[in-house]
This record gives sequence, structure tokens and C-alpha cells, in this order.
Amino acid sequence: MDKEVVIKAENIVKKFGDRTVLNGINLEIYRGETFVIMGGSGCGKSTFLRHLIGALKPDSGRVSLLGKDLSGLSEDALDAVKKKIGMSFQSSALFDSMTVGDNVALPLKEHAKLERSVIDIVVKMKLELVGLRGFEDLMPSQLSGGMRKRVGLARAIVMDPEIVFYDEPTAGLDPIVSGVIDKLILDLSKKLAITSVVVTHDMKSVFSIADRIAMLYEGSVLQVGTPDEIRKSDNQMVKQFVSGSPDGPIKFFQQKDDYLEQLMK
Amino acid sequence: MAVKTESKNGLMVCRVEGDIDISCSPDLKKVFDKLIAQKTPKIVIEFSKVTYVDSSGLATLVGILKNMRSYGGRMRLAGMSTKIKGLFEITKLDKLFEIMATEEEAIAGL
Repeated sequence: MDKEVVIKAENIVKKFGDRTVLNGINLEIYRGETFVIMGGSGCGKSTFLRHLIGALKPDSGRVSLLGKDLSGLSEDALDAVKKKIGMSFQSSALFDSMTVGDNVALPLKEHAKLERSVIDIVVKMKLELVGLRGFEDLMPSQLSGGMRKRVGLARAIVMDPEIVFYDEPTAGLDPIVSGVIDKLILDLSKKLAITSVVVTHDMKSVFSIADRIAMLYEGSVLQVGTPDEIRKSDNQMVKQFVSGSPDGPIKFFQQKDDYLEQLMK
Repeated sequence: MAVKTESKNGLMVCRVEGDIDISCSPDLKKVFDKLIAQKTPKIVIEFSKVTYVDSSGLATLVGILKNMRSYGGRMRLAGMSTKIKGLFEITKLDKLFEIMATEEEAIAGL
């Protein structure tokens, strides 16, 4: 059976001022897979993610989500597509003044005219899926970092999305809690048949959850492949990133000859 | 979504058609609120023409069951596709509802 493409990026270019952040990215993501976009800090992966969810428009190129070209959509049509996606933010992005239950319920209240009693049941069902049932009445400040992430996940899936985007889901978490979050992403993807797109530089996470991986470097895709293909890559930059070596073609500092000139300007 | 109700052998059979999603689950609730207000003792919800149920639909069904139980009413679900039954299993609701293969099975012994 042919794989159904649910996300298609065609030649995406984005510049911030003089700096080219995305330099012609082409990618296809299939229904039901867990696709990881990895790369070092500043490689453009979070900017690329923001293009995929329609939060940023490319200078050129186009993004199609669930068969719809985002560039040609009206505001209402874009909103309709956005209802089919969920987003889990790096910072969890919970409202500290609202209970856990109200945070999870927020998209339901924004999009639908459901009665409170029905919303409460949906919230309980979603918190059960992330292992936090019974925490509805707590405030985010009473939770650990890992629990806050899980609340963010519950909120990301509250509208039954077809695609969930995760921005650095394990950033700032210890290895055990990171493992718990990875397992949860896999569980939710398989159980709910969700397509998952994960942006991360956590290599342990990459290899434990990915069906396929794209490695980004300086706004371009270096390689797309299965975890095995990435592990055995001949590309020196991919090799260096996977091994975490400071020595290699990837430079961790911007080497500019005009440093002293810049200071004296 | 549409609901056709039929009184049959002393119980109410409600045949639902189409998607039960966030745009129409409040309408589904209204249909059942009326039956619950009349303290309908036994209800079978028939799913063979239901194409999709989202979380709001599942939660609405839980709410209906909860309200029926408050006066001792009984409810069974019948005729679900494997895909929809899978949704009940993921959310563990298959352990909450009496889910029968066919309408006839659901009516028998209710």
C-alpha cells in the first residue's frame, strides 16, 4: 500500500534579515509515522517546525498539511486545518493561573460549545492517557517538570488531532523522565494512530522513538533515513552529530575573520 | 449526524448515523437528555451506521450512561465497527459500557 503523505515541505526558504535560516528544505512525512527532525542549536529546526504548523510563512516554497497548501488558505480554512493538529511546546506553555484540568480543557472551550460536564469527562480521559488522572485540580506550579510536559501532551491531544508536533519534548528533563516522555509519545502515536513530528537534539530520544529521521544543518537537510541508516551514515556531519564529537566538519563557534574589526566599529 | 429512535419490546432503540464529533455531540446529548428526563428505563444505541466517534462523542456517551444510572436505567451499545470498538478499548470505556455485537443481542436480556 502506498504511504499517504500528510506533510509536504517544498523548497522552503526563510531569511531573518540577511541570515538565511532555512535554505530550500524538501521533506515528506507519512501518516502514522514518528518523524524526528534533529540538528544542533540554531540549525533552523524550530523555525522549520513553525512553518509546518502555519505559524510562519516561508519567503519562498510551500507547506502542505493534510493535503492543503497552507499558503493558499484563508484564515478560516487555516483554522480548520489547525484544529486537526496538536502542538506540544518546549516550555509546556501552561497557564500558571489555571488548574491542570482547565489547561487541558482550553482548546475544547475555544473551539466547541460543549457542556462543562462533557468537557470534564474528556479532560479525565486525556489525563488518564498521560498517566495523570486525579491531578485535575492541581495548579501547574505544584507539578514537576516532567508532569508539566505530560499535561502539555494531554492538552495537545485533547482535540483528537491527526498530527502532533513536539518541540524539544525532553529538554531540561533528567534521563529517566525523558525516557517516560519518549515512551508516552510512542504510546500515544501507536494507540491513537497519530502522526508525530518531533524536533529534538536529544540523541537517545531520537533513536528510541523515530521511524525516520531528518538531520538539519545550517537550514538544509543533510540526510533523511531510518535510525539504522542514520547510525551507519557516511556523511561526516551526521556522524559527528550522532557521536557528539566536538571535532569534525560541524563548527560549534561562528568563525568570522572580522571579529576584531567588529569590536572596533 | 442523525438519530432515529424506535420503541421496541419495551425499550428504546436509538440508531445513530454519521460522525459523532465535536460539532454534533451537543446535539446527541440533547436527544438523550429528553429520554433521560422521561426516565426511559432501557436504551440500546445502535452504531452500525456510525462512521467516527471523537473524544467529545465518547464523553457524551459516558455522560448519558451516568445520567441513566442515576435513576436505575440501563443502556447497551451495539453494532460497532472494529475501528470504533478500538476507540472504546483505548480509553478503557469497553469496561464501562455493555457492548454487544448486534442490536438483537443487545435487546435480548436487557
